[in-house]
Amino acid sequence: MDKLLEYKDIWILAQQKEGRLERISFELITRGRELADQRGCRLCAMLFGGDITDDELHRLGRCGLDLAAVCRDERLKDFNVEPYARVMDVVISKYRPEVIIAGATSTGRTLMPYAAIKANTGLTADCTGLAIDPESGGLHQTRPAIGGNIMATIKTPAHRPQMATVRPHSTKPAQPAQKSKMLIEDILPEDQWFTTGVEYLGFESSGDQVSLADSDRVVVVGRGIKKADNLPMIYELADALDAAVGATRDVVDRGWLSYPHQIGLSGITISPKLYIGIGVSGAIQHLAGMQTAETIIAINSDPEAQIFKIADFGIVGDLFEVVPALTQQIRSGGVVD
Amino acid sequence: MNIIVPIKQVPDIRNVRMDEKTGTVIREGVEAIVNPLDLYAIETAIRLAGSCGAKTIALSMGPAKAADALREAVSMGIDEAVLLSDKCFAGSDTWATSYVLSEAVKRIGSYTIIICGERAVDGDTGQVGPGIAAWLDIPVLTYLSKVSINEGSCTVRRLIEDGYESLSCSMPCVLTVVKEIAEPGLPTLRGKKRAKNLDIPTWTAEYLGIKPESVGLKGSPTRVVKIDRPKVSRQCRIEKPRSETKTAAAVKALAEKLRETA
Amino acid sequence: MRYNRITPEIAASLSEIVGENFVIYNDPERLEPYSHDEIPEKKYAAMPEAVVRPRTADEISRIMKLANEFRFPVTPRGAGSGLSGGAVPIHGGIVLHCDRMNEILELDKENMMLTVEPGVVANDINEFLKPHGLFYAGYPMSMETCYIGGNVAENAGGGKAVKYGVTGRYVLGLETVMPNGDIVWFGGKLIKDVTGYNMIQLMTGSEGTLGIFSKIVLKLIPLPRYQVDLLCLFKSSQEAINIVPRIITGTGIIPTGIEFMDRTACREACEYLNESIPYQDSGAMVIITVDGASRENVESEYETLGEMCMENGAIEVYVADNVTTSERIWKVRRNIGEAYNVISRRQSGEDIVVPPAAMAQMVEKLSQLAQNFGVMIPCFGHAGDGNLHARIVSDPKWSDEKWHQVLPEILERLYKLTSELGGSISGEHGIGHKRKNYMPMFVSDEYLNILKSIKKSLDPNFILNPGKIFDSL
Repeated sequence: MDKLLEYKDIWILAQQKEGRLERISFELITRGRELADQRGCRLCAMLFGGDITDDELHRLGRCGLDLAAVCRDERLKDFNVEPYARVMDVVISKYRPEVIIAGATSTGRTLMPYAAIKANTGLTADCTGLAIDPESGGLHQTRPAIGGNIMATIKTPAHRPQMATVRPHSTKPAQPAQKSKMLIEDILPEDQWFTTGVEYLGFESSGDQVSLADSDRVVVVGRGIKKADNLPMIYELADALDAAVGATRDVVDRGWLSYPHQIGLSGITISPKLYIGIGVSGAIQHLAGMQTAETIIAINSDPEAQIFKIADFGIVGDLFEVVPALTQQIRSGGVVD
Repeated sequence: MNIIVPIKQVPDIRNVRMDEKTGTVIREGVEAIVNPLDLYAIETAIRLAGSCGAKTIALSMGPAKAADALREAVSMGIDEAVLLSDKCFAGSDTWATSYVLSEAVKRIGSYTIIICGERAVDGDTGQVGPGIAAWLDIPVLTYLSKVSINEGSCTVRRLIEDGYESLSCSMPCVLTVVKEIAEPGLPTLRGKKRAKNLDIPTWTAEYLGIKPESVGLKGSPTRVVKIDRPKVSRQCRIEKPRSETKTAAAVKALAEKLRETA
Repeated sequence: MRYNRITPEIAASLSEIVGENFVIYNDPERLEPYSHDEIPEKKYAAMPEAVVRPRTADEISRIMKLANEFRFPVTPRGAGSGLSGGAVPIHGGIVLHCDRMNEILELDKENMMLTVEPGVVANDINEFLKPHGLFYAGYPMSMETCYIGGNVAENAGGGKAVKYGVTGRYVLGLETVMPNGDIVWFGGKLIKDVTGYNMIQLMTGSEGTLGIFSKIVLKLIPLPRYQVDLLCLFKSSQEAINIVPRIITGTGIIPTGIEFMDRTACREACEYLNESIPYQDSGAMVIITVDGASRENVESEYETLGEMCMENGAIEVYVADNVTTSERIWKVRRNIGEAYNVISRRQSGEDIVVPPAAMAQMVEKLSQLAQNFGVMIPCFGHAGDGNLHARIVSDPKWSDEKWHQVLPEILERLYKLTSELGGSISGEHGIGHKRKNYMPMFVSDEYLNILKSIKKSLDPNFILNPGKIFDSL
C-alpha cells in the first residue's frame, strides 16, 4: 500500500481545439477544485495540443490551478489515441497523479480507457458525482447505470491514479477570478511517441448552429411531430430560444432527423439547463439520456405520457397549436437576452 | 484474415423495473438480449467481411447462457463464435473484461479488425473497445459512422461533438461503431438453423492462460461501494388547456417559466 | 323513442348515487372526450349530457333505475378504444364510465380463474398473472389501453385468435346489472354449465345493449413461456394468402396467430418507419407466431412452418425469438394505421370477415375495388381467422365533399363483395352505430327481429345504449 502514497495531487485532462481551451476544461476545474480542497493538495492540469500560447494556458491559472504540464507539438493538434496516450503515460510516470479526471467527451471517452489500461489502473465512466471519501482519502465516483435507474458509487482501492470521466455540463465551468500563479511545465515531445497508423484526413462540420452536446438549451422532438414536413416549426422555436435541436429514437429511426440528433440510450446523453420535449412520450431509453437536465418542459397531447412524470412544467395539448404560439410569445416577450 | 466482434448479453433494460422498497433492480422475468448497440457492430462486420473475404468471429464473455447471444449473431450472418466463460470471470470490470477479450483475440490470431458496439446499454461505459486496443497495443477509432477497407488500411468517418472527422487507419485496429453505420439485418430461418447446429467452443481462463486472481471481482481495479436510487425531485406543474383561450394562457405561463430559467 | 334531457335535478340525483366528484355535468370541455371513440371521423361522434363514474354494481343498479324512471339513455363505456362507435351516446343522456371499477378481485389458482372488475386494463391482467405462470389469452391489438369490460362487451378478437379463440372463450361468469337495474350472476366458476340458455354467450359481444358487467370471471391458461414470430415475405398477396390453409390443414401445428399485410400496407408502414426490411421486392408479408411451454417444441414448430413457407414461394423468412427483433417485426404491423393517418385522415376502417378459404379472393377483389374508385385500400389483418382490416383511405387530393359522396358507394360495393363470399360485416370491432345501416345486407329480417325482441324483453324502455346494432324502435 505504501506505493499508493507516492501518488499525489488532483489532475484534470484539459482539452483544446485549435489552440483554444474548451469549456469542459473549466468544468473539470470546478470538479477538481472541490476534490483538491477536500484532499488538501494541488490542482494540476495536463494538456496536449499544437500551438497553445502561455496566455491561453494562464486562463487555467486564473481559475486557481497550481500547475500545468503541457506537451506542444503540431502532431498533437488533433486527437489521436496512440500519441495522446503515450504523452499521458509520461505525465503519469513523472508526476504520479493521485486522481485524473477528464471530460466524457469523444476524446475523453476514447483516451482515458486506453490510457488506464496502459497505466494499469481502473477507470469509471461518465460520472455525475465525485467526492473524496473522508475515511480512506480515496475517490468516490458516482455514476448512473442501468439506463439511469440506479446510481452506483465506485472506488479504486488499490490502484493509482484513480481515473474518471465526467459528464459534460454536469457542473458549472470555473470563472477566472484571480491572477495566475500557475507553473507551466513543458513535456518535450519525443519522435517515437508519434508512430501511429492513424492519419487525419479532414473534418466536416455538422452544420448545426448549436452543438447538441454543448448547448445549454435543447428542444427535442418526438414522434408526435408526425412527419418530417412539420420540423420547421420546431427549428423556429429552437431559433427563438437559441437552442439546439435533438430527437428521440423514433424520429431518427424514421429518418426525419439524422442520428447525431438522437438523445437517449442509443444516442447521446445531455444535461442542459433547459430541455423542452415536444411530442416526446418519454420512453425509458430516452429519459436515460436527458433526465439530469436542470429544467424539463414537456408538451404532449397524451396526459399519460411518461415524460410528464419527470417534467417541471407540462402542457397537455396539441403541439401544432402550442409550439407556434410559444415561439411567437418568446419572440415578442424576449425570453432570451 | 479474421474480423472479430466482441458482444455482450444484457438484460432488456426497457423492461427493467425497480423494487421501490429496496432500491434494487428486479431482473426476474427480464429477457436477456444481445446488447442493442452490438447489433450495429455485427452488421458492420458482416458487410466488411463480404467486401474483403474475411471470416467473422463473435466473442462473448459471460455465463453459459451468453451462448444464446452468440447464436443470435451467427443467425444474422456471423461465421463463427467463441464463448469465454469461467467462474473466475464473474464480476470483472472493464479493465478485466478487456483483458480477457484481448487474450481471446490473441488466441484466435490473424485478426485484422475488431469491431465493437459503442457501449453496452447496461454498464454504459464504452470502455471495453479502447481497452482491448490498449491491451493489444493497436490503434482504436471510436464513434464511427462509416467504415471501408482498402488495401490493408481502413477509411472511416468519426462522429464527434460538432461534426465528422475523416481518418484512415492501418490494420489491425479496433473500431467502435455508432447506430448510424448500418441497419442491422434480421436473423433468417437459414441463419437460425445454422446457428442452432454450430459448435460454439467455450474457452476458460485456464485455456487462455489467464490467472484466476487477475480477473473477475478480485482482479478488477474498481469496486462498487454502494448502489442508490437517483432522486428525482421535480415539482411538476401540468396545464391541461381545453380551449383556445386556455391554451394561450398556458403558453404564456410557459414563456414566463422560460424567462425564469433563462 | 323519445328521451328526457338530463335536468339539474337528475344530475343532483346522480351525484347523490356516485358522489359529486364523479359526475361531469354542464362542462363541455370535460364532456368532449366522451363524445367519441377511436374512430377519427367526427360524424360518428355525439356529446353526452353527463358522465357518471360509478364504483359499485349497486351504484350502477341505482343509476339504471333512475334512468328508467326519468327516461334518459345510458351508454356504458370502457377505455374508449372501440372502432364502431359503440360507446358513443348518440341519443344523448349519460355515459357510464367504468374506469373506477378497476380492481383485480381474486386470483383462484386452484381453479385457474381470475375475477376482475370491468375497468381493469387488459394488459395489466397479464402483467399481474406473469409471476404466477398464468395467462389470460384474450389479445386485442389495443391491449395496452383497453378495458376487460369493453373486451367482453365487444367479444374482442385480435392477433391470437387462431390458437386461443376470442374473448368469449375465456368468460366463465358475469355479474351483470340488467337494464332495469336488477343485479344478476350469469355462470360462475364452472367449466361446464348448461343451466338454461347460455346467457354468457348472449351477453358477451352484446355491445353494452343488454347489460353492464360489474364482475367478470375469466378462465386462465398456463403462461406460454416461449414465443417466436416469423416474418415471411412473398412475391404476391395470393401466394401469401395461399399459405394460410396449408399451414392450418397440413402441418398439425396450430399457430398462435397469422397476420397478413398486403403490398401497400407493408410499403407505407416500412417507409413511414424507415425500416430496411426489403419490402420493395415483396408483394405481401405474413407474420406467423407460435408459442408454447417448451423451447424445443416452439423451435421445431417454427422451423416446420418456416420451411413450408420457403417451399411455397416465400422470398425470405425472418425469425424473431427475442424482444429486439420481435419488436421490429411487429412495429411494421402496428404502424400501418399511423402511416396512413399521415397520408390522409379521411378513412374508413373496415373489419370484414370471410371464411378463411375465401381470403385470397377477397384480397384480390379489394385491390380491384381500390383501383376502380381511385382510393387506397391497404389490407391487413388476422389472416388465420379470415378477418381483414381493410382500411379505405381517401386520395389526399380529394375534397371532403367528394370523399363523403364516394365512400357510401365504396362501402356498399365492399359489403356486397364480402357478402357474396359468405362473409360478414364485422369480425371483432362490432356493429355499434357505424355499421348498423348495413346489417340488412348480411342478415335476414327474421334474424334482426329476433335480436330486437331480445332487446325489447330485457330493456323495454330502450334505456341501455340505444341505437346500437339496430335502430331503436
